Amino acid sequence: MDDTPLNEATDGAPDAMPSVLFVEDDERFAGEVGEELTARGFSVHLEHTGPAGLAAARASQYDLMIVDRMLPELDGLSIIETLRAQNIYTPVLVLSALSAVDDRVSGLKAGGDDYLTKPFAMEELAARLEALMRRPNDTRATMLRVGPIEMDLIERSVRRDGRDIDLLPREFRLLEYLMRRPNRVLTRTMLLEDVWNYRFIPQTNLVDVHIGKLRRKIDGPGETPLIQSIRGAGFMLRVAD
Amino acid sequence: MWRTDLFRTATFRLTLAVVGAMVGAMVLQFGLVYVQMTHFEERRSNDLLQREAGILLRDPPARLLNAVNERTAGNLRVVINGAAVFDSGFHYIAGDLRTWPEGLVIDGEVHQLTVHPPDDDPYDMRFLAVRAPGDRILVLARSLHMLDELRYMTRRAVWISVVPIVAFSLMTGIILSHRALSRVGEMHEAIERIMGGDLHERLPAGRGRDELERLAGSVNRMLDRLEHLLDEIRDVGNDIAHDLRTPLTRARARMERALARPADSVTLGQALAQAQSDLDQCFSIITALLRIGEIENGRRRAGFGPVSLPDLVADIVDLYDPIAETEGLVLLDQVNGASLGSADRLVVYGDRDLLIEVLANLIDNAIKFTPAGGTVGIAAERRSDRVLLRVFDTGIGIAEGERGAVLGRFYRSDKSRHVPGSGLGLSLVSAILRLHDARLAIDAQSGRTENPGTVFEIAFPAVGNLQSSGEIRPENPSLPTTRTPVAS
Repeated sequence: MDDTPLNEATDGAPDAMPSVLFVEDDERFAGEVGEELTARGFSVHLEHTGPAGLAAARASQYDLMIVDRMLPELDGLSIIETLRAQNIYTPVLVLSALSAVDDRVSGLKAGGDDYLTKPFAMEELAARLEALMRRPNDTRATMLRVGPIEMDLIERSVRRDGRDIDLLPREFRLLEYLMRRPNRVLTRTMLLEDVWNYRFIPQTNLVDVHIGKLRRKIDGPGETPLIQSIRGAGFMLRVAD
Repeated sequence: MWRTDLFRTATFRLTLAVVGAMVGAMVLQFGLVYVQMTHFEERRSNDLLQREAGILLRDPPARLLNAVNERTAGNLRVVINGAAVFDSGFHYIAGDLRTWPEGLVIDGEVHQLTVHPPDDDPYDMRFLAVRAPGDRILVLARSLHMLDELRYMTRRAVWISVVPIVAFSLMTGIILSHRALSRVGEMHEAIERIMGGDLHERLPAGRGRDELERLAGSVNRMLDRLEHLLDEIRDVGNDIAHDLRTPLTRARARMERALARPADSVTLGQALAQAQSDLDQCFSIITALLRIGEIENGRRRAGFGPVSLPDLVADIVDLYDPIAETEGLVLLDQVNGASLGSADRLVVYGDRDLLIEVLANLIDNAIKFTPAGGTVGIAAERRSDRVLLRVFDTGIGIAEGERGAVLGRFYRSDKSRHVPGSGLGLSLVSAILRLHDARLAIDAQSGRTENPGTVFEIAFPAVGNLQSSGEIRPENPSLPTTRTPVAS
């Protein structure tokens, strides 16, 4: 389960570039984002209207789709609904200028897999695409092992190299989330949304403080730090085999 | 133009109606007098004729002729204008009626008949014919000229009084209308100036309490309120512009400097990173404003359901506990565990995500403004008709005069200028609470002087009360509290 190569999260898979269909009516913005994604190892196809996007999604098999909510002629949610009705289950990230929680809910209800509000950091988009491509390690095993850390989901105990680590419930939840997604960039927003189920952006560095507490508990003196901060993006539980 | 305006005024129309009513009343009054007078005169002449006939018949029959002749010549002529004696064949014997009046019946009753004298216009007289001894017929007559004269006088009186009264009323009406019109004209001019953009202009309203001035007073109060709202909107607009301009100016200056000087990529990268964080601050302000706008539009009640305050508080404390600890503060949860058994009564009807945001903002603030070693806490209390949630701290406090203002957009106390933030947290909080029909009160902790601390008290309507109004149906009826009876 922890056979993910170290460089995959940042360098992309060497053999096959993941293909992304990006439907966005603001052509300059789409071009900008497209180039950035290409630089990160995605093969990007751009469409600028709803019908063209729908046609492209039907015509060939993409690994991922990014769909803007508001598009000329056919809006993003209708595209997703149409695709899902035709049994096309390409993972879709919905982009929107609307930040409302309701809009997010309706975006996910229509069949979107994730929702991102403009403006966003490129790292955030990349991290979320990564997350969409590689489902978390949702094994039914009762033990999770990532690098030197062992987590017993039944006894709710954690050990590093045989040393018991005493965690609060919230720290346990956070570590479990990280361990199911090793070597992947996880942004602060993703952590807030998934671990705490919060949809707002706090004014303080909440996530950093929580990560800091967890770090101090799992990294003993002299041990290799496992949770790394990724500048401008978030955090990563980095382990080498 | 002026004249037609004048005649169209409500005052003038009212005057016309009053004049009409007055004329009507006069006509009615005089009409009654007229009818009454006619009736009275008829009865009087009947009485006179009957009485005279009685007197004449009581005398010996031989005197009748003399008496009739005397009467026609004497001063009684004024009362009985005609008297004559005829035989049974209606032939003239004596008196001043030379011919038998046409159509006269001898029945002892008075009849009004038209006389047609050969040398004059026909006229009406009242006649009485009675049988006298000696197979004769006595005829007495009385003319109607007294009544005619009275009628004539009455008619003249009507005309003489109606014309000046109507003229006087119309004059009064015109003057009053003119005054009203000129006042309305002034108001129109004032309104024109207001519509032209002069929002400080007010309608002329004197000290009088008539309806026009009361109306002008109400309009002026409305204008005051509107002007105040406009000022507020303008202030908010200015605040937004100002708050956005500050980070934008910084970002621009950084980029300009980076462009102007040849710099290595590290310096360039730093400049860009700083510019980016400035832009992010702009975005966070815009996002917060959009969210406030969205919440204030009240479209968000879709996500409403019963929310357990103890659970909510446990979650938020779980989230903020490490921060408080890092800042050297104690975060107290007085909701859970403090009063067991009341937990299920501490349920409010609302949107969990939004309420979490409220608490997060309040705790965030409390942590920011409380010096190390202090305490931040959350407490809850169930009252009969509402649920109270308090967030308190031992921080610098909010001066009494500033408590209303901190809920406004972009307000930052002088004490907090140095603390970063969008300045919109509390306005977001109050927008969310308004959506929940909850009231927010700000107070100081009692009995503290150096660091007065702040208490934010949120009063939610109790769930039972909401339910009884029939307006809200919680989505999850299995929660025990939704069945809490309405406490009165």
